[in-house]
Amino acid sequence: MKYKLVRTTKVNMQYKKAPTVESVLAEETVKALREITNHIQDAVFKDIPTKEGMVTIIHSNSLVEKRTLQEVVLVPLCNHIHQIHQLATPVDLKEFKGIIEKIGGGHTLLYFHQTHQLLSLNTYSAPTRTITDTATESTVIGPQDAFTESLDTNISLVRRRIRNPMLKNEDRILGTESNFRISILYIEDLVNKENLDTLKQRIDKVHYPIFTDISMLMQSIEDNPLSPFPQYYMSVRPDSISQYLLDGRIVVFMDNSQAAIVGPTSFFEMFISIEDYYNRWTMASLLRMLRFFGFFLTIMITPTYISALVFHPELLPYELLLNLQESRSNVPLPPLIEVLFIELIIEVLREAGSRMPTKVGQTIGIVGGIVIGTAAVDAGLVSNILIVLVAISALLSFLPPIFLMSNTSRFVRYIFIFSAGFFGMYGQMLAFAWLFAHLLSLNSLGTPYMTPFIPRKATDLLDSIVRFPTAYLKNRKGISRAQKK
Amino acid sequence: MSTHTKKILNGYHVVFLAQSAMIGSGILTLPRELSSVGYSQTFLPILFGVFASLTLWPMVWLNLKYPNENLFRINEILLGKGLGKILNVLIILQFTLFIAGIINKYMHLIQSTALPEQTITKPVLLFLLLLIYIVNGGIKSIARFCMLTFFLTIGIFYFTYWAVQKGDFSHLFPLFNFNGKELFEAMGKGYLAVLGYGAIMFYFPYIVDQKKAFKHVLTGIWISISLCFITVLISVMYFSEWQLKHIEFSILNLLKSGELSFVERFDIIGVTLWVFLILTTVAVYLWSAKEGIVSLFSKEKKYYIYVLTAIVFLIVRIPFPQEFQDKFFTTVNYIAYFLIVWPSFLSIIYLLRKKQVQP
Amino acid sequence: MNKKILLFTTLIGLTFLVGCSRAEHKVPLEEIGLAGIMAFDYIDENKVQLSVAIPQHSPGAKASTQVFSVPTELLSKGIVDIEALSDKKILFNQLRVVLINEEFARKGRVERMIQHLYRNPEPGNKVLIAIVKGSSEELINADYPNKPDINYYINDLLLPTINTAFNPNTNIHDFIYTATNPVFDPLLPIIEKKDDKLEITGVALFKNNNMFETLTPEEAFIIQDLIGKKKLAPLSVELNQGHGKESLMLERVKSRVKMKSNKNIKSPKLTISLFYKGTLVEYTGERENDLHSPESLSKLEKDINKQVEEEVKKTLNKLKELKVDPIGLSENFRMYYDGKWTKEMTEENISKLEVDIQVKTSIISTGTLD
Repeated sequence: MKYKLVRTTKVNMQYKKAPTVESVLAEETVKALREITNHIQDAVFKDIPTKEGMVTIIHSNSLVEKRTLQEVVLVPLCNHIHQIHQLATPVDLKEFKGIIEKIGGGHTLLYFHQTHQLLSLNTYSAPTRTITDTATESTVIGPQDAFTESLDTNISLVRRRIRNPMLKNEDRILGTESNFRISILYIEDLVNKENLDTLKQRIDKVHYPIFTDISMLMQSIEDNPLSPFPQYYMSVRPDSISQYLLDGRIVVFMDNSQAAIVGPTSFFEMFISIEDYYNRWTMASLLRMLRFFGFFLTIMITPTYISALVFHPELLPYELLLNLQESRSNVPLPPLIEVLFIELIIEVLREAGSRMPTKVGQTIGIVGGIVIGTAAVDAGLVSNILIVLVAISALLSFLPPIFLMSNTSRFVRYIFIFSAGFFGMYGQMLAFAWLFAHLLSLNSLGTPYMTPFIPRKATDLLDSIVRFPTAYLKNRKGISRAQKK
Repeated sequence: MSTHTKKILNGYHVVFLAQSAMIGSGILTLPRELSSVGYSQTFLPILFGVFASLTLWPMVWLNLKYPNENLFRINEILLGKGLGKILNVLIILQFTLFIAGIINKYMHLIQSTALPEQTITKPVLLFLLLLIYIVNGGIKSIARFCMLTFFLTIGIFYFTYWAVQKGDFSHLFPLFNFNGKELFEAMGKGYLAVLGYGAIMFYFPYIVDQKKAFKHVLTGIWISISLCFITVLISVMYFSEWQLKHIEFSILNLLKSGELSFVERFDIIGVTLWVFLILTTVAVYLWSAKEGIVSLFSKEKKYYIYVLTAIVFLIVRIPFPQEFQDKFFTTVNYIAYFLIVWPSFLSIIYLLRKKQVQP
Repeated sequence: MNKKILLFTTLIGLTFLVGCSRAEHKVPLEEIGLAGIMAFDYIDENKVQLSVAIPQHSPGAKASTQVFSVPTELLSKGIVDIEALSDKKILFNQLRVVLINEEFARKGRVERMIQHLYRNPEPGNKVLIAIVKGSSEELINADYPNKPDINYYINDLLLPTINTAFNPNTNIHDFIYTATNPVFDPLLPIIEKKDDKLEITGVALFKNNNMFETLTPEEAFIIQDLIGKKKLAPLSVELNQGHGKESLMLERVKSRVKMKSNKNIKSPKLTISLFYKGTLVEYTGERENDLHSPESLSKLEKDINKQVEEEVKKTLNKLKELKVDPIGLSENFRMYYDGKWTKEMTEENISKLEVDIQVKTSIISTGTLD
């Protein structure tokens, strides 16, 4: 701040020193500008003679591509200078912070020596990724493009799908230190104003130095940040985001972040993939059931193994029980430790696999899985039936299309494992009751997380576990509380 | 103080609050409680339903006179501050003991089936922690939990299918084969199973559509009554009169009759799933007791619930002799009948003192 | 905020509580002996020889089943004694069969033992009960070369099959139900060891908590039919109605029993109607080449009706003489009786009972017979 003040007075003084001699003034100004930008190391100054006299252009080398500079600035400057005046926005010479932000944001500043005018042109053309297909949410049917880390590209991907003049985006600058853009998208005549206000308020209240991904922002604007469940839908698919926008939801994009978040959402929506709408309704319904009940299975399978072994041997059929006894007879670990051991090994395999380079990772994953699995049984560390169960529950945990949910299910499973290890089936049911009580108390942007179990609208049920044929799904979801039906 | 209570409970919430508060530990032993009339017990639940509907009417009538007050406040208004407060303390005490009784009964079942050879201290503790978590969410959270519980546990009835198959429908006849004394005994013991609907007097101020509350609660009552009726009907069909009298938890034995190929026995799952039903009932009572304390001190404090739960825990865990415990909880349960008749009495007072106590 | 704190205390509490679980040691599955068969043999009035068969899971063990046997007065005491003999904790959660030797069934306190098991929440309802001719301990200990495991063998034998349709398949609930219900008397199958295999040779009839009489499979079959068992066993009839000796087999597709009482316990009268509907699958006798026309079939139907009527009557007369009611015929009178129904009333009722039997058979096809 101090720096800024001093500089301002200096420039003003320079004004007063030689107000009549233009060239001197211009030189002074350029010098001042150089001083201001001296901490932007890659700022480039260039003097270009034009019809309107000398023009100094200033830009950041790393944020502006040569070609863009050529097309947007240099060619018009030399040939059609009136275009520049039409397109460029004037910048206040005294507003130093603004100047620095412009350069830092990839703009090119043009200083006209004669008229003593400072104009800016958006030439932001930092290297971006091209639009590729998604690695995390890929589908067989449907569009394959995914968002990139560029905010403008992402918004253009959405706007390409929704040609509706009511689609609004509001920009905010976020991060007390990093200062970058987020964009709130919504369709004005659909969105619920109350939800929108809540979200804006929350975003305005956020005070955090830097967000490196939108998931960080998501955690700081949730209704219950301590919950293990994600309370916003998160996707990198433009088609799925557009669909939610048209349902009246609010979408938040962040620059440098691939995914977008959608609110309000519900627990059940975590198990919906956009592909469900591309598939035939019969298969889509089957898959949805699989994912939804898969969540409950994955948190129940291994705990039930512990319960049955330690507390309730009557649960299992006699034959299976004798097999279990046989395979358990060499295992020195109590069932709880046995389960924890093998579950943690799976976690390790998964984590190690995701850190390793792809080619190595695959091999290690398979080798690790098979070698450790069979060897652990042979060594008498775990029973072979448990290996099967753990493998199934690990696979089931990857069913939810939202990866955060899949992580959650893995965490929740440990709660169930511990309660089963201590109280058997009773403990499991208590944990189950806790899970439901918790889910019921959660809100996403003020709407209950457990919709459509708590139906907002009867038509919601048409698009729940069973996805009805497309003709029945015209209505918007009750959860969005949209202005239009 | 409670004139600004937010109206948050819609019709469905009211239906299931009333319904879930009734189905708790009572239904587990209902056929045994009714066994003094033998096979003729089948139609007693329906009689209970009629009784419940009749006693519900003065409750709602009184509450409609004071749409923003719960029973604790109404007591104070109608009986004067001093007398009202004393009575409220008694009600809170009764609720606490009642909660302890329900938990005690259920834990007894858990101990004898799911967790044999284990003390129940920790299971009770964990149960109470969860209970606090649910009650802290407020009455709306409890209502939502009640709805979910209903749909989650209704499936248990499927597992009585085998019992129905094996059962004999002719046990129902002759229809009214009992004398007055037997009927009175069965009524006295069995009506406990359907008591919970009285809690309406405490969450009434939170209901959005208070005019329709009577209809909603009535729906809830009759859902519960039909569940009781089905339970008793199947028990009568499946058991002999001796079994009805001597089997403590007849639902447990009904569930034992089920046969599935992959799960040998469903009774453990059924009994442990029952914890949902116990949780809802107890949560409604605990919440009501908390409201009572709030009205006593005219202040809302979080620690009330913790204190109440601690008392419940102590009552459940103090090593009274079994006999004393049984007697104690039975007496407490009989006091609960008083709460059912109390509103009728209050209504009379209201009519007498109409001028003085205009809300 | 408080809610969140609570959520976390719950989570943390759970974790810590698990730590405490070390103190209460739970025996994991491999150190448990899951008893499959329990057997009682008569020693004297107070004592009983209790045997328990436990399947062995360790692959190295020679015998697939381990049998422990102790004399005892109390069931629970006997179980403790057996646990002392075995290296494992014995649980009855998977108990499948209870065997009672004939002598114990006739003289011992069967009901008390079964009731003890029934009260115990460990065993399920699938526990089947059977009477053993001779020593039940020997029966479990015997070697059955074709069967790997005695536990499965006896259990499978006692489970309902079409070939042993006369088997009442009495499980622990049925026994208690029939024993405590005044209108019923319990029935139990009898198994016997013949050479290398086991066989259900008949059905034991109980009265006043003790075995009383033995019924032949044919009589038991009729009783099961009258009870209205759902499993439809083929009906084999030996005809002797003026056409010489004939025998036939009727594969039933539908069978129904209807009972109608005169509601009078002074002079009880019961009308029993039996309907059979089925396919004639096999026939040998005089009329072999004469069964093509509907007339001849209806003639045969009538003959079957008559024969079955006679057989049912014979069986019912036997029950009447014995004054026992395993079918629950008295239920048709209890239904209309105000007041308490007692066992004595059942006895009296059955001894006075007049029965009118109507059998109606309809042969819907002659199957693949030409």
